[in-house]
Amino acid sequence: MKKLSHIAGDLVLIFIALLCVLPFVYMILMSLKSTLNAYDFSFSLSSLTTEHYRKIFSGGTIGRYLLNSIIIAFAGVALTLFTSCTAGFAFAKLKFKGNDKIFLLLILTMLVPSEVILVPLYIVVRGLGWVNTFKALILPLPTAFGVFIMRQAILGIPNELMESARIDGASNLKILWTVILPLVKSAMLTLSIFTFIGAWNNFTWPLIITTNDTMRTLPLALTTMKAQYDVDVGLTMACSVITFLPPFIFYLLLQSKFEAGVALNGLKG
Amino acid sequence: MKKQKNILSVLSPYAYITPISLILLTFVAGSLIIAVCFSFTKYNIITPAKFNGLFNYQKLLRDSKLRQCIMNTVKITLMAVPLQILISTALAALIASRKDTLLGKFAKASLFIPVLSSNAVVGTIWKAILNGGHPAVSFLFGLVGLDPTMLLGDSTSAIITLSMIIVWKSMGYYMIITLSSLMSIPDNYYEAARVDGANSWNIFSRITIPLLKPTLILNTFLAIISSMQVFDIVYTMTGGGPSMSTTTMVMYAYQLTFKGGKAGYAMTVSNVLMLMVLVVVLFQQRFMKREASEI
Repeated sequence: MKKLSHIAGDLVLIFIALLCVLPFVYMILMSLKSTLNAYDFSFSLSSLTTEHYRKIFSGGTIGRYLLNSIIIAFAGVALTLFTSCTAGFAFAKLKFKGNDKIFLLLILTMLVPSEVILVPLYIVVRGLGWVNTFKALILPLPTAFGVFIMRQAILGIPNELMESARIDGASNLKILWTVILPLVKSAMLTLSIFTFIGAWNNFTWPLIITTNDTMRTLPLALTTMKAQYDVDVGLTMACSVITFLPPFIFYLLLQSKFEAGVALNGLKG
Repeated sequence: MKKQKNILSVLSPYAYITPISLILLTFVAGSLIIAVCFSFTKYNIITPAKFNGLFNYQKLLRDSKLRQCIMNTVKITLMAVPLQILISTALAALIASRKDTLLGKFAKASLFIPVLSSNAVVGTIWKAILNGGHPAVSFLFGLVGLDPTMLLGDSTSAIITLSMIIVWKSMGYYMIITLSSLMSIPDNYYEAARVDGANSWNIFSRITIPLLKPTLILNTFLAIISSMQVFDIVYTMTGGGPSMSTTTMVMYAYQLTFKGGKAGYAMTVSNVLMLMVLVVVLFQQRFMKREASEI
């Protein structure tokens, strides 16, 4: 009896795992078929082609989308690390008036649901004259969540380490750079991964704030291409694969970091 | 000279918090202020805004489209959230009892793949699968009596399909949260129960579930809050149709602004949604606090 329920559990897990994986297998297979036979379902190896990938990487509109996605994701990570580490350090280790209150105020911004303020955010950024600029795509990426993560990590560092550096005459900035940051690399890595994936996967904000091809990002190619080229299933699926791969590769390499990050509610479901 | 250095050392901590404060002030606080101010105006993002008092708020009450969008959002929440919690909890329990086996690891990793993917990718793949007419897909859906190519074309089945895809996308996320709290239950609780002769169902319902309760409540609230904000999947799969049957509140605000030239009213709608989310968040805080004080 016990064996039977165990086998039933195994079968459920196998079924669910396949349900999660097979759509992505379908995506990859479709991306390797030439457009003419995208809906010809005899999967023979000889009819597979890499033409869609060559098209994407050979530049042109979609190549530009890809380049923009890369620039925005990396700049977003750099900016988030910079703002989160400096503020996290100040909130954790520096004494100044209003420390706790300002921190609480920043944390309160995490309550504001991101999708809900899209329209007013658009008006703000438009008022700054930033429509179709990298500024508009990158500067709103850092959140109070990063500050929270870095503050928590830096709080765990004993003050004695800082004091001995201070006696040697090191400035706060030098202490942050040479003493603190090397000790919180793990938190920085977690934050970087989540910021990268968030920026890379972001769809709604680039959709709203960009109106021309030179500024669009890769996820947008999935919807804008349909209007431009009619439905090219193979090419759409190849774009999906390229959008999908970076987060997936990070996950394969750093699985435990992802689980730790989810437990902290760092990635939206 | 000495005094100047003093002022600098008093001010320097503020320099560290200035970058993030400026960003959050501009984009988050700025947006909130704009949303409140413009909700009292007639504004089409091209010509300057005109103050029109409470007109937009009165309009909320007679807007039948808004009512439909709220209903759609409620439907998605009612269909997706219970399934997300039930399935993710069951899967976490199954995976926890197989955590060191190949199947357990494979299932855990597989479930996380949809979580990692962009909503735009998820929407695009599922649309291609449903509409692609692949014989294997048609066969599988045929087993339960469905024609995949029709699912997104009908008002009733479209919103059900979307809700199921939302469940598919995020069940791995809630599973990971539940799994990590399952793993933190000490083994001796189970051993003690087994010594007392409890069977596995008793153990699950009397020990595991009560200890998981705070996590399950957290998951429920996270799921509710995220289902209130659905946009990308709808945008890529149905565009809100057929005939507004899948238009969510965020989608409606988007359409009002960029398709309807009614940005002022769109912000009034956003404010309503914001209030709804805040009410849920306040409930969450109270619930979690009560749970925390009970333990």
